[in-house]
Amino acid sequence: MAKEKSSDFKVEFGEPVGMIAAQSVGEPGTQMILRSFHFAGIESAIATSGLPRIVELVDAKKRPTTPLSTIYLDAKASRNIDDAEKVAAKINEVRMGTLVRRIIENFAKGTIKIALSRQELESEDMTPRQVADRLGKLLSLEVAVEGLVLTVKTHTKNLKEVRAVRVKIMRSVISGIEGAGKAIVQKNLKTGEFYIISAGSNIEGMMGIEGIDKSRIYTNDVFAIYRLFGIEAARNAIARELQLTLDEQKISVDLRHLLLIADAMTASGSVKGVGRHGLSGEKKSVFARAAYEETVKHLINAAAFGETDQMRGVTENILVGKQIPIGTGSVRLAIKKEDMSKVKP
Amino acid sequence: MLAKEDESRCYLYLNGRVIGHIADPDAYVSEIRAARRKGLISGETNIAFIKSLNVININTDRGRIRKPYIIVEHMKPKMTPEIVEKVKKRELDFNSLLRNGILEYLDAEEEENALVAFNEEDITDKTTHMEIDVASIFGFTVNTSPFPEHNNIARHAMLANFTKQAEGLYASNFNLRFDSRGYLLFYPQAPIVTTVAYDGANIKHHPSGQNFVVALSTYYGYNMADAIVVNKSAVDRGLGRSIFYKTYVDEERRYPGGQKDKFKIPQPTAEGYMGEHAYSKLGDDGIIEPEMKVVEGDALIGKVAPPRFLEESIGAGGLEEKMRDDSSVLKTGETGSVDSVIFTESTGATKIVKVRVRSLRIPEKGDKFASRHGQKGVIAMVVPQEDMPFTAEGIVPDLLLNPHSIPTRLTFGHLLEELAGKAGAVGGHIVDGTAFTEKGSARIEGYGKILEKYGFDKNGEETLYDGMTGKPFKAGIFTGVVYYNRLYHMVSNKIQVRSRGKVQILTHQPTEGKARQGALRFGEMERDALIGYGASLLLKERLLDQSDKAEVLICKECGDIGYYDRIKRVTICPLCGSNSFAEVEISYAFKILLDEIKSLHIMPEVRLNV
Repeated sequence: MAKEKSSDFKVEFGEPVGMIAAQSVGEPGTQMILRSFHFAGIESAIATSGLPRIVELVDAKKRPTTPLSTIYLDAKASRNIDDAEKVAAKINEVRMGTLVRRIIENFAKGTIKIALSRQELESEDMTPRQVADRLGKLLSLEVAVEGLVLTVKTHTKNLKEVRAVRVKIMRSVISGIEGAGKAIVQKNLKTGEFYIISAGSNIEGMMGIEGIDKSRIYTNDVFAIYRLFGIEAARNAIARELQLTLDEQKISVDLRHLLLIADAMTASGSVKGVGRHGLSGEKKSVFARAAYEETVKHLINAAAFGETDQMRGVTENILVGKQIPIGTGSVRLAIKKEDMSKVKP
Repeated sequence: MLAKEDESRCYLYLNGRVIGHIADPDAYVSEIRAARRKGLISGETNIAFIKSLNVININTDRGRIRKPYIIVEHMKPKMTPEIVEKVKKRELDFNSLLRNGILEYLDAEEEENALVAFNEEDITDKTTHMEIDVASIFGFTVNTSPFPEHNNIARHAMLANFTKQAEGLYASNFNLRFDSRGYLLFYPQAPIVTTVAYDGANIKHHPSGQNFVVALSTYYGYNMADAIVVNKSAVDRGLGRSIFYKTYVDEERRYPGGQKDKFKIPQPTAEGYMGEHAYSKLGDDGIIEPEMKVVEGDALIGKVAPPRFLEESIGAGGLEEKMRDDSSVLKTGETGSVDSVIFTESTGATKIVKVRVRSLRIPEKGDKFASRHGQKGVIAMVVPQEDMPFTAEGIVPDLLLNPHSIPTRLTFGHLLEELAGKAGAVGGHIVDGTAFTEKGSARIEGYGKILEKYGFDKNGEETLYDGMTGKPFKAGIFTGVVYYNRLYHMVSNKIQVRSRGKVQILTHQPTEGKARQGALRFGEMERDALIGYGASLLLKERLLDQSDKAEVLICKECGDIGYYDRIKRVTICPLCGSNSFAEVEISYAFKILLDEIKSLHIMPEVRLNV
């Protein structure tokens, strides 16, 4: 009985699954626009959600607007807050820019004076000496310390070069992993387990840190997952992120629709968006591409290369007025009845 | 702009620009305010100290919205009974109150510094201002509706829109006006429940609504989801009846080259002649006569114009100039009588004719009504009086409103108005419904007393009897009088049908829009739905057979489109001269696409699988 019932829901041959997936995501998406207004004005630290996040995923943006990683810890650190904090400190990315209160170049002497912010130093638990040492190593320059003021000697009086050093100083990572962002220890209230969330997606860098559980590391950055774990993982990540975003808005879309989208995006072996630069732009049919965006460009290129449209897709057949090869249109007469007698068994 | 370097300093912004900083912001602000109240500086100055940002904003620029308040000092409003007396005697006017520091205007920013009391009892030692009238927290439009304090704010926004759309006595010289569209209510009534703002604006002398007897009752499911049921006999007596005026204008234009239009009945030789019948109602001068009954397709103003292109006028025998029919015709779906015709002149000394057509608009299924609480509804059924519910006294409601439309919309004012309207109707007096004049409970009690005095239930409930069976309904049904507006959205102006019809010249696809007798668009999303079902044959029928199907000849040699030469009686390919063709069904849109591709100097070639 159950088997009978379940076979009723099997996808039939010729069923337009892509169109159904698109409609199943698209229709709730229209409700989302209205709802996302409710979240306006909340702290910017919260990850992008709602429609902008869906668009970001489906367009296969190289970097999410708000990258976020969840780093689980090994057996020892996940039970001890102090150990967890130590791991977090190793990950937590501190850039010079956040520590600096004021920075002044002296072009005549070729020196740069940096006033550090006491508040920021305290919150990152660092001394000016540590900052100076790290900075000196990074720049291979001499850095003098006097109270909260660092003085960098640049060995040049060239205006442009001094400026370049200043920019370099502001961007330099004083501690933690580059691209890891701010890392904070969190506690799972159910299991009592400690874990770390960070506002960056450099999971490649984080994998090298001791004390983390490498098998459970996760990020919302699809491309970071693709680089580290490969295309299958990226496919799962896309579907999972889509589902999480929809769940957040209390919209229920069947996972299989999302998996189909993720499959389509990753079928070529690399992550591709669905738009003009991705799936739609790579359609075989000239007419289908021309019907979407940049009509003239596609027509002229097709002419230049003498392309032939095989008329196998949906768009191009609607355009000329033929039956579309979907559903009832996907069957064709193989042999006429009167010709059957000619066939010898 | 000056950078704000020091957090501890209180910076001073004049119209958004930093002009300095202040050591003691509180003292500074009160000094400026004192000077303003004394009249030493302009009363249009507003100053606000924003504590959280440690900033003072002084605004003197234009475009700020400001509101007057009574100044309160030492827990005493400056508007003393003596001053009120003087104002009543007209010894003091509003401006003198402003000059003497009794009233002052606050803008949105300075309001943040003020603590405004509703009335004298609310004044505490922190109070800085008092409302002139509590109702003034609403705007004018809201204050013209009764009991606005009992309604949801979103409904007020809707009310403002509906008020604009209401039919009424829109101008007392309507008979002399030639508005392109005019709606005139037959028997406008002043509302039984009014407000101070409504009376003050004198709207009751040109009202736009009627007092309906409303029962809050369902009617066999015919008033679900904002539908309303109305009494046919009430409609026959003139409830909601109105007139729709529409003016057709035409002008005898002059063209470069000495040609000009002429008002007359076009001769049958004119281009675009619509047949003798269309012009049968025109007078000798080519203009229709007043009080003539007209239907769609009738010419109202007969006019001939010179042909659009010069060549056409040459070589037409030379005797008579070829003319084109350019008459004004009554639009599709419209009927009525010609109300009046005027001749006038433009500034360019050309003749202008205006024809005003009048038609009666009796409320019918699909016409829109709204009360003054943002409660709109569309007539779903016009019920004969004998089938409507009635009371023991024999009162039959004009309108049945579904009770489900009240609780979710939070328009309790609607119920209050119903009760107040009933009390006013039975007591024979006008009821005041100005916001905040009385508490809701006190009002209900007051109206209840009046109703009881005349032998009605104090809660406004009535025992209604089913018009069909004569049996009483078990529940008491809330019945009262509500002021309703008839809105100008009427089905008779919107209804349109088409099965087959005109197509566009360029695309061979059906036309769009009511004016062109158009079809409803089967759009992209509808297309997607059919693809989603896999209904490919239905899709082809919609998008090809019912739309722009075209049969073209495709050359079997070169793949170009060929044509049939009627003189030589052969089919020819213009490109290769071949005579072998396949007849193919394509969409005309695709044919245009091929043409446009050719215009890009690209040769498309159609290959057929035969």
